[in-house]
Order: sequence, then C-alpha cells, then structure tokens
Amino acid sequence: MKKFLVLFMAVLIALLPIVGMAEGVSLTMGSWRADDVEQMNNLLSIYKEKTGVDITFQPTNPSDYNATLNLQLEGGTGPDLMYSRSYATGLELFNAGHAGDCTDIPGLHENFTELNLAPWATEDGKMFAVPFAAVSHGVYYNKDVFAANNIEIPATFEELLAACETLKTAGITPFANGVAEEWDILECFFLGMLPNYVGGAENRAKYESGELKMNDENFVAALGDIGKMAPYLPTGFEAVTYNDSQILFATGKAAMFMDGSWTSGTYGDVEFEWGVFALPAPEGKATAICFHPDLAITYNTATAHPDECKAFLEWLCSEEGVTAAVANLPAGYYPLSNFSVTFTDEHANEFLALNEGKETDARFVWPTLMDLYAPMNQAVIQVLKGAMTAQEAGDSIVAAFDALQ
Amino acid sequence: MQQSKSLRKFGASLRPSGWYWMLYLLPGLLIYVVFMAYPLIASIQLSFYTGSFGNRTFVGFQNYITLFTDPTHSSRFFNAFGHTWIFFAIHMVVQNMLGILFAVMLTNRTMRGRSIYQTIIFLPTTLAVVVTGYLWKLILSPVWTGDILASMGLGFLAQPWLGNESTALVCVALVSCWQWMGIPTMMFVAALQGVSEELIEASSLEGANSWHIFRHIKLPLIKPVVGIVTILTFVNNFNAFDVVYSMENANGAPNYATDLIGTLFYRVGIAGQHPVAIADAGLGATIATITFLMLSIFVIPTLIKTQGGD
Repeated sequence: MKKFLVLFMAVLIALLPIVGMAEGVSLTMGSWRADDVEQMNNLLSIYKEKTGVDITFQPTNPSDYNATLNLQLEGGTGPDLMYSRSYATGLELFNAGHAGDCTDIPGLHENFTELNLAPWATEDGKMFAVPFAAVSHGVYYNKDVFAANNIEIPATFEELLAACETLKTAGITPFANGVAEEWDILECFFLGMLPNYVGGAENRAKYESGELKMNDENFVAALGDIGKMAPYLPTGFEAVTYNDSQILFATGKAAMFMDGSWTSGTYGDVEFEWGVFALPAPEGKATAICFHPDLAITYNTATAHPDECKAFLEWLCSEEGVTAAVANLPAGYYPLSNFSVTFTDEHANEFLALNEGKETDARFVWPTLMDLYAPMNQAVIQVLKGAMTAQEAGDSIVAAFDALQ
Repeated sequence: MQQSKSLRKFGASLRPSGWYWMLYLLPGLLIYVVFMAYPLIASIQLSFYTGSFGNRTFVGFQNYITLFTDPTHSSRFFNAFGHTWIFFAIHMVVQNMLGILFAVMLTNRTMRGRSIYQTIIFLPTTLAVVVTGYLWKLILSPVWTGDILASMGLGFLAQPWLGNESTALVCVALVSCWQWMGIPTMMFVAALQGVSEELIEASSLEGANSWHIFRHIKLPLIKPVVGIVTILTFVNNFNAFDVVYSMENANGAPNYATDLIGTLFYRVGIAGQHPVAIADAGLGATIATITFLMLSIFVIPTLIKTQGGD
C-alpha cells in the first residue's frame, strides 16, 4: 500500500509540468492606460487564440502608475509584462535591473526606424522595450461653432488670435484649456506649440547641449505667444482642471481645445461635428507637430516566464501583431513600426494627416531635459497669469538649466 | 484543604503587586511593535540609505544634509513646512474655536433642536475627503458656479479661489476645517457634559455671568480635552495630504502654494515628481523622520502641560 502511494506520488510529480503546460501560461501586464481595458483585452485575446498564452491586462491610474510599478517591482510582485515610458523614466527601470533587455527580439531592428527606437534605447544601443504607440497634439475644434461664426481653420498664429477674438466677441470661450492641474498646460499646449518656434529634433539637440539658450528670441516668442492666449481661456482658467476643459469642449461651451490625440475617443458622442487642426506657427515660420513616442512594452526580469514574454514582444514587432494592434488600439494612438497602416476611425486618420509635410518631434523636455519639466511648467503658468513676462520666464528656465549643469 | 490553598494562591497572584498584568499587555504590545514601532524604526533606518529597488547603500546623514542644504530641496521643504504651520493655525483658530463655540451652544439646556444641529455639524465628518474635496472644488470653480453666483448678484465671489497662489491654501484649509469641525465639537460636548451642574449653579448664584462661567469654570475643567484636541489637530495637520491631493494635486498647485509636509513627502518618497516620477525613498524617509521628531517635540510638552494631575 505504502509502495503504491509512493509510486502514485512519483507519477503525479512527473506529470505536473505536462499538466501545467497544457493549461497554458498566464501572464500579467501592467499599464497606465486604465481607459483602454476593452481594447487591450481584445488585442490580448487575439494573441491567446493564436498561442494559448493568457495575458491579463492590469492597468493603474495614469498618475499612479510609476509609483505603483516601482513598489511592485521592489516588492517582487511586479507584472510579467509592463508598459514602459519613453526616455529617462523607462531607462531608470532598465538600469535598476527590472526591465528586460529587448535588443535581440527578432523583428525589432528590421521593422522600426532608428528614430522610433531611440526613445527606448540606451546610450550603447541596447533596447529596453518594444515601441508600441505614439501620440500627437493638436487643436480640437467645434466645426459647428466655426461655421456659425464664419471662421476658417487658421493658417497662422495671427489668424488664430483673430479667430479667438471673433469667438470671444460672440460670447463663446475660444479655448477650453486651464492651468489648475499644471501638467496639461505644459504637455498639451506649450510643448505642443513649441516646435513651431524652435524647430524639430535638430534644434532641440542644440538647446540640450547649451548651444542655444532657452531665453533666445524663438523660445521667448513661444512663451510670449502662449501668454497671448490668456484672454481666450475660460474665465477663471487658473482653477480649470483637465477634466473641466474636456467638459467645456464636449458641451460646446468652448470652441477649441489644445490637447493630445489620446482623448479623441472621448468625444465620440458629442452633439456637434468636430475636427482637429495643427496649432499654426506665426507668420513666416513653418508649422511643426509634436508627435510624441509615448509607450512601449517590456518584460520584467523577475518573471517566471521570460520566453513567453519575449514571444509576445516578438509578435508585437511582426506585421501580424502590428495589424492586430492597429485594429484594437484606442483612437489617437499610433503604432511606431514601418508597416503602413490605416485606421477605421475618421479622427485618428485626421490627426495622423496633420503630420504630412511637416517636421515632427517628441515633447521638447522628454529626451534629456526632464529636470526642466517642473520649472518650465511653472514659467508657462506664470506667463499666463501675467505674473512673469515672457523674457523673465525664459530667464527662469535658463537659470534652472544652468543650475543642473 | 488542598483546594482552598490553591484558591488562596490564585487570590494572591491577583494582588496589584503581582506580575500577572504583564500578560494582558502582551497582545497589545505585539500589535504595537509589529504595526507601529517596527515600521517607525525601519523608516528612520531607511533615512540613512539612498538608492532604490533593493540596491540601497548606506550614506549616513547625507539625506539630511541634502534636504537642508540643496537649494531646490531645502526651499521646497521650508515652503511646505511654513504652509503646514499656516494650515495648523487656521485649524486651531477656525475649527477648534468654532468647535468650542458650538459645543457650548449644544450643551446649553435651553436650546431647541439640539440633535438636529449636532447631526448637521457632524455630517461632513462622515463623508470621504475625496468626495467633499471634489464637491468643494466644483463649488469654488467660477466655471461651474459663476453663473449661479452672478444671478444672485454675487458675481464678485466667482473667483478662481483654488487657482490663485494667495487664496488657495486658505481655501483648502477652510474646507478641511468645515469637514472635521464635528470631531472637536463632539469631544468638547462630551467634556462639557461632564461639568457638574452644581458648580455652575453655585457660581451663577454668586453673580458670575456666562462668560465668567465659561472662562473660569468650564474651560479649566475641560483643559485635558483642549490639550487632546490640540494634539490631534497638530498630528492630523502634519500628516495632512488627502485634502490637498483631492482639491489641488500632489504638487501642491498652484506653484507649490498648497504644498504641505504630507504632499512633499508623498512626492519625494512615494510617487516621485510628475512626469519622471522616480521616488527617492531614502529622502522621503528623512522627511518622515523630521516630521516625527517635530511631532514629538510639540506633543510631549503639550501632553505634560494639559494632562497634569490637578
């Protein structure tokens, strides 16, 4: 009897790995896109059908993601796969040994341009994540209000100001943006318009190296022009939050909203026609677009299933994976691979079309000047509140830059 | 015979001089050590380390030196430190003074509808800060209440109260006072109900007016409760975070005007500054340790002064 029991146990133990494999591997994926659960679940179910690997999407609120992820990784309870922020924030996790090395994922170097790999590459060319999506920035506008007030899409910043004046005279708030939450006025508005004044990546590098100063003519012009928007923001814009701005635009109280492409899905059921246009450059300058590499996916080095994780990332690099992603990505997110793609969503195509014939660049501070984010954010707000002139604001950013050196 | 002997022995062990009472402390002590003392000591220990993600290195007092000498960190710290004191002062003046006032009114026997007022005063305390903070954020926003105020002829009140550096901290503090006023009120009510009716009657026969009675009879008798309320207010303010987080943001917007020790600690030690958001747990623990020291320095003398035997 005892012998039989031992034999039985031995067989059971021998069978265990086989049973385990037959059930399929379960992985978890951490993300800051709490709004995209449905879309990501669709994408992941396609992958499950194909391979049997079950990936659970476990997002946290955007502003809590980094803190939560850090605590999880530190405590050894991190997800197997995780969204990776571009540049320094993502790199930090790689340097700390948490984000896996993705350099050798097949298809990564073949199907992405160097430009799109760069935000997730280390200085010595290693990749710490597989690029997944970019976001764009532009002006959402209420087509009905524009038509009712005989306003055309402005081609220059001066025309935009004139349009704002017309709207304001008609009793309509021109722009929905506010400064209460601080981040949106910088990320969506100022960094969205900055390439119009300082140019693309080439000039950005000069500011990063210190060759150009952030209180030069072009930079101060950008700060001055965002200051000119103050009268056209909602009354009491000092206390208007991002959520308030979205409601003001969605209810038709404000005619325009300078925002990121990621919210284009929010206005699916509004009662008016809307579109997007690129925030125009001032007379004599070329309009450029802030097209920002935003999210990539990497794997946790502490995962129990590194091979399955890498296989998923490989799939994301393949044409099949990209096609599936495009079909399921939320509106306003654009894949970064070289495969040509088309979107079914009208506004997604509209946003992407803004890039045509224009220079594009990531958000100005992201690549190497992240420490200037907070000082620049405050400078922009002070200009809008009239507490600083554009020149003073530029000087304060330069002072912060010098203090970092 | 044998039985009565053991009974006597058991009786002897119940004498106050016995050691058996220590056993009753054990569960409490265990919970205290595991959930209070150990985390506290671990956090003090953490303040002497730097780095994160398991590769921590000992740096001695470097975090303390950084916090007080690095221009960015020290200006943020003293900014938050000052705001916390303002926040505390507003609570002492508004929340606790009104608490005493309401308590005196509620314990007045001639007042009608006492329980209704009591419920109204205590009601906000039962709501979540996230809810009240959000509601007040909407109420104080000119975008949402400007039209109503204007139609009432109060258009001048439609100001971005939470968006101006000069008014934001006071507004947030007043909302917090409004929410928590019920706690000191209830404590003072309980204390005032304990004041003997004979004392009050006797003094009024001696010709004392109601101010005299309050100042010289009621107030001295509820002194221990005043002390406890002061300490609770102080501790809660130095740990305040949620009301700022729900009404402004973790940065203490606008321009750090509502930054408290609590939000600074959250930003430095737990979440990191948006958008890089890389937390420095060691530096955060340093802020926590300094907060702990300050609390001790204030709380212990207050306890001694107000909880005295007489």
